[in-house]
Amino acid sequence: MAENWLASAPVRTFDQPYRAQRPAVTWLLQREIVRYLKNWHFTIAGQILAALLFVFVFGLAIGNRITGIGGVPYRQFILPGLVVLAVVTAGYIQGNASLFEARKDRFINAVLASPLRWWEINLALTLGSMVRGTLIATGFLAISLPLTGSHIARPGLFAATSVAVLVMAAQTGMLAGMYAKTTEHIAAIQVLVVQPLCFLGGVFYSVHDLSPSWRMLSYLDPVFYAVQAMRSAMVGHADIAAPEALLVVSAAALALTAWIAAKFRSGSKLKP
Amino acid sequence: MAPPALEVVKLRKTYPSGFTALHDLELEIPDGAFFGLLGPNGAGKSTLISATCNLLRPTSGDIKVFGHRHDSRTARALVGLAEQEINLDRFLTNAEILTYHAGYYGVGRREAIRRTDELLELLGLADKSRQSPLSLSGGMQRRLLVARALIHRPRLLILDEPTAGVDVELRTDLWGYMRDLHRIGHTILLTTHYLEEAEALCDEIALIKSGRVISRGSADRLRAEFGVTHLSEVYNRAMATPLEEAHRG
Repeated sequence: MAENWLASAPVRTFDQPYRAQRPAVTWLLQREIVRYLKNWHFTIAGQILAALLFVFVFGLAIGNRITGIGGVPYRQFILPGLVVLAVVTAGYIQGNASLFEARKDRFINAVLASPLRWWEINLALTLGSMVRGTLIATGFLAISLPLTGSHIARPGLFAATSVAVLVMAAQTGMLAGMYAKTTEHIAAIQVLVVQPLCFLGGVFYSVHDLSPSWRMLSYLDPVFYAVQAMRSAMVGHADIAAPEALLVVSAAALALTAWIAAKFRSGSKLKP
Repeated sequence: MAPPALEVVKLRKTYPSGFTALHDLELEIPDGAFFGLLGPNGAGKSTLISATCNLLRPTSGDIKVFGHRHDSRTARALVGLAEQEINLDRFLTNAEILTYHAGYYGVGRREAIRRTDELLELLGLADKSRQSPLSLSGGMQRRLLVARALIHRPRLLILDEPTAGVDVELRTDLWGYMRDLHRIGHTILLTTHYLEEAEALCDEIALIKSGRVISRGSADRLRAEFGVTHLSEVYNRAMATPLEEAHRG
C-alpha cells in the first residue's frame, strides 16, 4: 500500500522551492466559509432571525406607539442600527469561532506550521468573517426593508459604510479570539463590551434626546458612528454628518486592522 | 548530496515565566534517517519540535530544514507534523481535514481530494471519511493525525509520541506504518517514552535532558558507550548523570 502512495505522491525533493498549485489563502478562506455554512441554521438564519425579532418587537409592535424620530417612522429609524448590531455580533462570534476555538483545541497549529504567511491567515479569517456578516445583513435587509417600508437612500454611502463596519466587526471578533483565554472571557467580553457598545450606539434613540453626559458617552463609542453612517445611508440623515461618521468608522476599522496585523506578524498571542 | 534534514544550532527557548526549555541545543539529523529523541517529560522534546515547525518563537539560535531557514515556506512544505495531542479540526469531516490541510500547503483541489482518498484507504479510514473526527476512536484519531502529516508529501516527518496511550495492537500497526514510510523515503524524527520503540524503529537515538542533547548514536553504540546491555540502562544512567558530567563525557 505504501508503495502505491509513493508512486502517486512521491516524497518532496529538498531543493524544490515551494510553489502552490492553488493559493493556500483561498483554502483557508473556503474552510472558514464551509465551517459556518454547514450550520447555516444557527450561524446565518439564526442571527437573521435574532435581528428580525428587534424589528417585530421594537419596530412593529412598540414602534407604532412611538412618534417618529426626526420625521422618520420609528420602525425605519431603528433599521440601520439593527444592521450594524447584526454585523458586529456576527463578526464577534465568527472571530471567536475562528481563532479562539482553533487556539483552544490547538488545530490552529496545522495552519501556523503550513507555508501560509501571517498576512494570508489574517486575510482569510477577515474575509471569512466579512462574508458571514454580508450574508446575514443581506438576509436581514431582504426581509426587513419591505416589512418596514424602508429603502436605501444613498447606495454609495451604504456600500462604503458596509465595508467599514464589516472590517471593524471582523477585526473586533478576531482580537477577542486572540486575547481570550477561556470561554468565560468570550462570554464576558460579549456581555460587558460588545452589547453595551451596540446598545449605547444610538440604535434605538437619537443622541439629541440624551442628557449631555450620556451624549458624550455615545460620542466615545465607535459603534455610534457606524450606526450614524448607516442611518445616513439608509434614511438620508442622522445625528451627525455622514462624512464625519464614516471617517471615524473607517479609522476604527484601520486601527483594529493594524492591531490585529501586528499581533499576527509577531505571533505573540498565537505562539508562546 | 542532500543537506541535513534538520540542523539545529545553539537553539535556546526561554519562556516569559523565565523557564528555559532549550539550552543552546545542537542537533543534526541526516536526510533519510529514522531518528529517535528520548527524554523525560519536560526535557524539551516538544519545545524543539514546536520551534522547528514554527509553533513557538525561539529566543535565539538557528534551525534549518534541508538547508532552508525553518520559517521559510520551502522549509515548512518539507515538514509534516503529527503532534502528541489530538488536535483535529472538529468543524470538518475526516476527509475535509486532509483535503484542507493539503490546501494549506498549496495543493490543488483535484490532487488534494485524490490524495485524501488514497491516504484514508492506506490508513484504514476510508469508511469514516464523511464522519467527524470526534466520532473516531483514539486509535483512529492517531492514524488521521499521521495521514494529515503526510498529505503534502513532506520529506521530514515529525511524530511526537505517536504511540502514547495506545493499545498494543494499534502500536504494532503504527510501527508498521512508520517503517513503511521510512522505507519509501521519509526522514522520520520520532519522540517517544518507549525505549523498546526507539530501539525497534530508529537507526539513531539522541537522549535529551533539560533542554540539551546529552548523548546520541545507534542503540548498539549507546550501550557500548555506557557499558550496559539494555537501552533502559543507558537511559537510566544518562538521566541520572549530572549535566556537566554528561557534557564532559
